[in-house]
Amino acid sequence: MQTPVFLDHLPDFETVAGEKPEQYRLTRNKALLDLMLDCSTDWTPRQACPACGRDRLKSRNFSQTLLEFLRCTECNTIYAQRVPDQKVLDQLRLEIIEAQVGDDPGKDREFEFTSLMNWVSLTEARLQRRLDKVVDIRFASQAPRWPEATRRLSHGRSWDFLSLTPENTEFDELCARLAHLSPKAILMPAELDRVADPEALMRAIKQSVASGTVIFVASSCADGLEYEILGADSPSFIPLDRLTVFSINGFQALSARVGLSVLEVSTPGRLDAVILDRYFKGTENANIPFWSGFFQEADKNRLRDLQILLQRSLKSGILRFVLEA
Amino acid sequence: MTLRVAIIGYGKMGRIRHEAMERHGGFHVVVACDTAVDPAASCPMVTDPMAVYDYNPDVIVCSVPNKMIPDVVCTALARGKHVFSEKPPGRNSEDVRRMMGAEKAAGDRVLKFGFNHRVHDAIEEAKKLIDAGTMGELYFMRGVYGKAGGPNYAQNWRNDPAQSGGGILIDQGIHMLDLFQMFAGRFRDVQSFVQRNFWTDVPVEDNAFALMKNADGIVASVHSSATQWQHTFRLELYLRNGFVSVDGILSASGSYGTEVLTVALNRLDEGGNPIPNPESQELRFTEDKSWDKEIAEFYAAVAEDEPLRCGTSQQALDVMELVEAIYAADPEWCRIVQDHKVQENQEG
Repeated sequence: MQTPVFLDHLPDFETVAGEKPEQYRLTRNKALLDLMLDCSTDWTPRQACPACGRDRLKSRNFSQTLLEFLRCTECNTIYAQRVPDQKVLDQLRLEIIEAQVGDDPGKDREFEFTSLMNWVSLTEARLQRRLDKVVDIRFASQAPRWPEATRRLSHGRSWDFLSLTPENTEFDELCARLAHLSPKAILMPAELDRVADPEALMRAIKQSVASGTVIFVASSCADGLEYEILGADSPSFIPLDRLTVFSINGFQALSARVGLSVLEVSTPGRLDAVILDRYFKGTENANIPFWSGFFQEADKNRLRDLQILLQRSLKSGILRFVLEA
Repeated sequence: MTLRVAIIGYGKMGRIRHEAMERHGGFHVVVACDTAVDPAASCPMVTDPMAVYDYNPDVIVCSVPNKMIPDVVCTALARGKHVFSEKPPGRNSEDVRRMMGAEKAAGDRVLKFGFNHRVHDAIEEAKKLIDAGTMGELYFMRGVYGKAGGPNYAQNWRNDPAQSGGGILIDQGIHMLDLFQMFAGRFRDVQSFVQRNFWTDVPVEDNAFALMKNADGIVASVHSSATQWQHTFRLELYLRNGFVSVDGILSASGSYGTEVLTVALNRLDEGGNPIPNPESQELRFTEDKSWDKEIAEFYAAVAEDEPLRCGTSQQALDVMELVEAIYAADPEWCRIVQDHKVQENQEG
């Protein structure tokens, strides 16, 4: 198993703290509140950590705002104590996407798109295996410019895009479409933390593809310094989008349980340092030993050094896995 | 199949090879030879190189100073033994040609030289990335390989040209040149500066700078140094679609740091031009498996008739000719070497 470190420019804090991200956060939180107030919503309680499977009683409280979240003491994964039906979750996401039509933030995401394409290309080269047919799972629905970017920048590779549609618990619709496409690789950069049952999603994918299919997944990462220090106060923690925030160990355990081999693990998150910098410089009485002083005196170079250290230590707020079916 | 091995030259390298063969399991070291018997050695020892043949070995591992390599190798091949020899392959290309002649005469006997840098994990990974074609056409390579002299620099046989054939370039820089030719084929067009800066009384170079071009127009530059006070290995390959670099190399001394492979594919602007400083991926390698890989490849060649990929005699000849071309391309250095020879003849 390889653990590459992704190095890039340190982005501005506005990437996560601008007006649009704040509006998005409020919209999602309102959607969650509506869901909780709606008596007809079915909620499924989680009796065990969705990552490592340890009994829920062994988890600590993480947040009780809106929805109760727990943190597994075994694998460090953060998870909602109960989750709504998958179809409801998908429907809510579709409503937001429809409301955003014409307001495509994709142009600002060109670096992210290139990063994903290069990730596939370099992994392909390292594995010495042609990944010339890739299926994107649902990312194109969230990032409408993504398909156009693949046409422009991803040469010698065909792409299919499975859009976000309301799914049942077993992801039957997705399974059928995936089996029909027989891809060499799958890219799923923004689903794991948003679905009701990530294990069901991973099982659905595994049973729908041929042995040897390479699966690229990305998600938020509970091991990130951002979550360790800020907990539920982290600006990245939007409950409805973070129903499961996997730790590295947690997702490894889930992958093993599903029967997927782990080829590569990384935490390429770029925002922990700038998020924490903003928090400590902007919050009065934020008095955490060592870190308060560290960020009060931090300049951009120090933030970059910290972010690289976090990436090298698998402690940034985004995780990436390359798996093999 | 267990191969019976005799190690001629049981110093640091001979012992490293012995350990690698023990880890492999397909070898049994039946005897080792050095100038003095080590009572603590784990195998029988002799001091006469010819005495090792009394132990009926299948394989000779040759870990002796450069000057002695051709004799040891040719004798072993003539006696029907397979040979694994350290680099450099003698002192000059003439030595290599002599060994190639013995190899040819020995028929199916295997001759392998220990250019282990080819099989370091970071280098193999770089090769995979480039061979896949994703990175595009290779434009140029830059290599820096250097160390701070070494213990007893002035007295060490490595710095006696009669024993070694040259200084830091033939001893250490030869690895970088071998890698250049692994990635880009042969380089023939060479310019160079070869210098003695710190150890001015020692008759070999302590720095060599060379710029070279191959038939495809790929340019490479190397700096091989014995005055690199901060031990350094750095190889950069720039290609049409990005770059690959290897920083550090795992060595017995551990002083070159861990191996870090950095790779990046360009990001293009709307006009299709590369945006500076693309996102890069960094991979760290912390375990030196090169000795084991070399021994495994040698075993497969001897016992399973697999073709050699690394350390062939042709590769040895190619790199030795490049070393000679670099020495020859600096007229001032040629004059210094010539003056030294004249002085030695007068004294001797």
